[in-house]
Parts: sequence; C-alpha cells; structure tokens
Amino acid sequence: MDKLGQVKIQQMAFMLLAVTLFFVLVGLFVLVIRFAGIGDAATALEEKNALLLTTKIANSPEFSCGDVYGTGSTNCVDGDKVMALIQNIEGYAGFWGNGVSNIEIKKIYPNEETNVCTIGNYPDCNTIRIISGEVKGFSAENFVSLCRKESEEGEPYDKCEIAKILISYDENNK
Amino acid sequence: MKIINKSGQEEMIGFVMIVILVAVILLVFIGFSLRTSQTQDIESYEVESFIQASLQHTTECRDNFGYLSVDKLIFECMNGGECSDGENACEVLSNSLGEITREAWRIENRPVEGYRLEVLLEGEPLIPEMFEGNESNNYKGAVQDFSKGGNSIQIFFRAYY
Repeated sequence: MDKLGQVKIQQMAFMLLAVTLFFVLVGLFVLVIRFAGIGDAATALEEKNALLLTTKIANSPEFSCGDVYGTGSTNCVDGDKVMALIQNIEGYAGFWGNGVSNIEIKKIYPNEETNVCTIGNYPDCNTIRIISGEVKGFSAENFVSLCRKESEEGEPYDKCEIAKILISYDENNK
Repeated sequence: MKIINKSGQEEMIGFVMIVILVAVILLVFIGFSLRTSQTQDIESYEVESFIQASLQHTTECRDNFGYLSVDKLIFECMNGGECSDGENACEVLSNSLGEITREAWRIENRPVEGYRLEVLLEGEPLIPEMFEGNESNNYKGAVQDFSKGGNSIQIFFRAYY
C-alpha cells in the first residue's frame, strides 16, 4: 500500500512537472510572437513620424498653397511663395525646429537633370533648396504638388507638378 | 497494477485535453495577430500623399477655361470629353498618370518591386489598369474616393516591396 502511494505521488509529481513545463513553453512561444513585431512597429512608427513631419512642414502657412490655386488641398506647396521665402531664409533659423537641418523640394515629373532654383532661373529649374545644412539623423521624403502661377498668351493659369519634399532631421536636436 | 494503469490513463487524457485547449487558444491568438499586422501594412501615408499630389498635377489637356488637373481630367474622361486639341481625354489621362507613376515609383532605383494603379468608375475600370514590375505579398496601398454628379470614382494604388 505504501509503495502504491509512493508511485501515485511520483506520478502526480511528473504530471505537475509536465504541465508546468508545457505552460512555460507556451508562454515563451506567446512572448516570442508578441515581441517579434516590436522592431517592425518601431520602424513603422519612425517612418510615420518622419512622414508626418514632412506633411506638417508642407502644410505650414509658409509652404502651403492655401486657396490660391483653387484646390485648398493638402500636400500642395506654393513654389512662388517658397522662392520668396528663401530670399529671407536667415529670419527662419530654427523656425521648423532645431533638429531640421535640411529641407529641399525636388520635382520628379517631368524628370530633368538636377538644376537648383534661384531667382534668376525660376521656374526653369527642378530643385528648391530651402535649408541646405548638414545631412544627419533621419531623412524623410513625401510626395507633394508643387504649384505656381504661369501665363500663356497673357492669360494666367495654375501649373502644378508632382514633387517630393525631402527633410533631414536629428531627433536629439529637437 | 490495474489501478495504477487506469489512473495513468486518466491523467494522460487530462494532459491531452489541456494540450488541445492551449493549442486552440494559441491558434486564435496567432490568427488575430496576423490579421492585425496585415491591416497595418495596408496603411501608407506616402501612397496617400502620392495619390493626392497626382490628382493636382496639371496635364497638357486644356478646355475653354484652361489646363486641366488630373482630377478634372478624370471627370472629362468620364463624360467622354476631348481636349481642345482634339485628343481623347481618357488617352491623355492614361498617358499622364502612367508617366507620373513611372517617374515617382522607379523600380530600378528603389526597393519597390512593382506597382498597380487603377481608376474605377462605379467599380469598373475607367482607363486600363497600370501595372509594372512584380507583385508581392509585402505592399503599401491606399484608396482615394471622390464623386461628382452622383458618380463614384475610386483610385487604387499599391506599391509592392
């Protein structure tokens, strides 16, 4: 009888061990699955933040088309306004945050050789450099519509082209 | 000996039942996790911005009031209209969107493997679908809906990585 009791206790001990081990393994499996996506989530969040920063800058009053082009749309940059802004860019030091070291708008269609815009060659150029600082930290880019006023046979019309706004920023300097 | 065997069998059945229960819970959990991550993949601010910027692009097609943007050209195409130079509005729309997309999502210089662009009027293609490169399960996409005169237009874009 004593022997049978010992066997029973031993059997229960093995069973408890097996169940505990099983739950530990299941728990480890769940943790692995749960934390496997953390790296991807961090990258996605970083990308989202960077894109939101480009959108925020593109839609700021200094860049945005507003209702001038009859669109009132988001992600629309007024090229004429930006060209006027870069004439007085010294007054905007740190305006978009100390972390932003580089802001550039590049036309992507029609595709041409890089030709930096100045007051002399605008609008026959494809890159507007607003801040040309050191490229460090994160870089982000987003699509925008680059609009300007044009005229044909004395008649004014709106010309919008697809472009990219490129920003470099250092999170530590924000 | 008979008693020991019976007790062992009962415990084995109990253990198997626990394993099955935990396996089912795990399957539900994994299924839920995978479904959530797929939804996150579909969201893309970059693609949304691309569609919005493309719609504002000024095309070479003009009517009596001036040059038409892509969104206005879509309505012109929907009504079977023509540009002032006699070109078919749908052809100009297709060419403009094709060139914009090709330049914006260059397959050779980017991690992008391919793309697909569709312009649908009430669920039917308004212009031929634009597809280049290879399709993959890893993609970013967005849909832009708008309507005019009771007609619903949808623009689908997917970039495959």
